[in-house]
Amino acid sequence: MENNNENNMTAQESLNLINEVLNNSRKSILSKNGKHFILWGVLLTIVSFVIYELWHTTGNPNWNLLWVAMPIIGFPMVKIISKKDADTPQNAISRQISGLWLAYCAFVMLIFVASVFFLKPMQMNLSLIIVLLLGFTECASGIMLKNWTIIISGCILGVGGAFAAQSVQSAEQLLLFVFGGLIIMLTGLIVKSQYK
Amino acid sequence: MFPKLDPLLHSELRLAVMSILAEVESADFSYLKKQTSSTSGNLSVQLDKLSAANYISVEKGFKGKVPCTTCKITETGMEAFHNYVKALQEYISK
Repeated sequence: MENNNENNMTAQESLNLINEVLNNSRKSILSKNGKHFILWGVLLTIVSFVIYELWHTTGNPNWNLLWVAMPIIGFPMVKIISKKDADTPQNAISRQISGLWLAYCAFVMLIFVASVFFLKPMQMNLSLIIVLLLGFTECASGIMLKNWTIIISGCILGVGGAFAAQSVQSAEQLLLFVFGGLIIMLTGLIVKSQYK
Repeated sequence: MFPKLDPLLHSELRLAVMSILAEVESADFSYLKKQTSSTSGNLSVQLDKLSAANYISVEKGFKGKVPCTTCKITETGMEAFHNYVKALQEYISK
């Protein structure tokens, strides 16, 4: 590209160049998204497993307050891993996926806070709602990335998770989130390999 | 009759820059340099040409203490890019 600045390309060469540049740029942008999926997947798996173990062994559901560790650890980690590719911009797909997951986080936080302070008497099945939303968000990400593995994983996680949340009780429900974390991690690995 | 190709876009480096900027909201100089594998001097010259034609806007600022040049495609630039791609497709299909 360096020594060829003036008008000596054929029409086909120009179109090929546009395709190549667009593909390379898209790959580097979406591969950055893959890292974020892996980070949040690992974090969700670890945090939910730790809470499950503590709740299961002590019988105290107050260990659920440890969920606060997710944003406290997660967001600084995002800053650290984003430093390396800080100059990588966002395209329409990566922006929509980020927006979708931020909306998911906002929904989950609001439902969590509301259930703790206002909705307790309604005996809301929080795990069912959160896992259903998680599956939906995963599925929608798959649609944007045009990847059937992610779409199907999201459906299994959301629908299967909702049924499982109805049938399993207390601490065991957290195993759904361990599974959810593994699915998100898998999504990250798929995205990274697809856009390598 | 073939449509005339925009001479400003019918150059490898400028076309590569415009292709990247058509896809993203804005891009840093360092990102464009990495993606196009060009030298800073050459890229600067080509960005100046695109900016002079109002195809892109160039904003100089700082990211923390580090100087940072951000480029963004303008509406004129986007239209020119679309027309250029359309013209290329016509050349190939005939």
